Amino acid sequence: MSLVAEAFVSQIAGKVPFIHVGNQVVSELGPIVQFVKAKGHSLSDGLDEVQKAEMKAYMELVNNMLLTAELYLQWCDEATVGEITHARYGSPYPWPLNHILAYQKQWEVKRKMKAIGWGNKTLDQVLEDVDQCCQALSQRLGTQPYFFNKQPTELDALVFGHLYTILTTQLTNDELSEKVKNYSNLLAFCRRIEQHYFEDRGKGRLS
Amino acid sequence: MAAPLELSCWGGGWGLPSIHSESLVVMAYAKFSGAPLKVSFIDNTWRGSRGDVPILTTEDNTVSQPAKILNFLRKQKYNADYELSAKQGADTLAYIALLEEKLLPAVLHTFWVESDNYFTVTKPWFASRIPFPLSLILPGRMSRGALNRILLTRGEPPLYRVQEVEAQIYRDAKECLNLLSNRLGTSQFFFGDTPSTLDAYVFGFLAPLYKVRFPKVQLQEHLKQLSNLCRFCDDILDSYFRLSLGDG
Repeated sequence: MSLVAEAFVSQIAGKVPFIHVGNQVVSELGPIVQFVKAKGHSLSDGLDEVQKAEMKAYMELVNNMLLTAELYLQWCDEATVGEITHARYGSPYPWPLNHILAYQKQWEVKRKMKAIGWGNKTLDQVLEDVDQCCQALSQRLGTQPYFFNKQPTELDALVFGHLYTILTTQLTNDELSEKVKNYSNLLAFCRRIEQHYFEDRGKGRLS
Repeated sequence: MAAPLELSCWGGGWGLPSIHSESLVVMAYAKFSGAPLKVSFIDNTWRGSRGDVPILTTEDNTVSQPAKILNFLRKQKYNADYELSAKQGADTLAYIALLEEKLLPAVLHTFWVESDNYFTVTKPWFASRIPFPLSLILPGRMSRGALNRILLTRGEPPLYRVQEVEAQIYRDAKECLNLLSNRLGTSQFFFGDTPSTLDAYVFGFLAPLYKVRFPKVQLQEHLKQLSNLCRFCDDILDSYFRLSLGDG
């Protein structure tokens, strides 16, 4: 089910963030797929050219900053790697494959970070980038229900996916989710989508 | 009192003050914000550096990477964005991300990976501006860095072969250029009548692509069809860089 969902959401909403985070979050794709499906295949039909350009730009911002920051936190922050990521990533595999694959993945991620200029960033700088990204998203959202007013688009799906992941995934430190929580309209945005589309799953996970 | 700000960057050609995107972004921003930069171009006396060019040096600081340099200049009160609204500031970040993700891979490919372009234009140009033996090593290193960056950020499943990655990055770049053209419309700059950070970035990425003469020019041809983007680059060159072209 999750693979089918992954393919479907990939097609509709662009690159899916959840896969990278590991087993715990893959299962969350189900409700996200429902959310996207409920609105039809092309969520951005009603936008004009300038708005489409803006939407794509913001999606890249999210990919550029949030996705990279999530990867950084999972694979380049030694505390998190040691306590959580390494074990979680390797858990489906027998010894010694679990260690080998985890180290290989860490090496790959570090290479990528270096290539895009994140190799020398400290955790504080990464958190500052996340803050800047959240600030931009918060300013763009303003008091509207969705990023392009009444109509949810791929951007809403992507932002919700990332923010939800950040807010609900357990890591060694809470600084990342604290950064997001500073922006009340983003928090309200996530709660609203969670309640509106996933209310049949029982009580929400966002406190 | 502002300490003297010195910028070390790659030189110009083909009518541009610099042919290196990142250097051009910083130079344009400095012009827009009124920062008094003393620009020195890399030449045969350069002994190489730890950081990547462009590099800003002041009495006590050394800053590299365009984003950090621009931040530094803003802190020194050279701010080209003070008239922007909060939403426009947010849009700036988003469009810069779009440029880096969608346009930059193809620009890097055009300059550093496409063999005809690299061996006939890029490599000789850079090699002629740095002292031996660095001239034998650095261009190759920059080329490998560019290819690395492209493959690591775009070469993911289901794109496994370099040719598929290449096709995808050029498609993305053309789409990005179209989006920029749509967004600019008939305005002089991206936000109103005065240039801002976003204009510096767009100029920095587009101008080398527009002006440098390459053998393999598919992206350049596409750009030339978007007349408002070409006009945008020419306007900035005429208004802000005409007087200093003599040093080029």
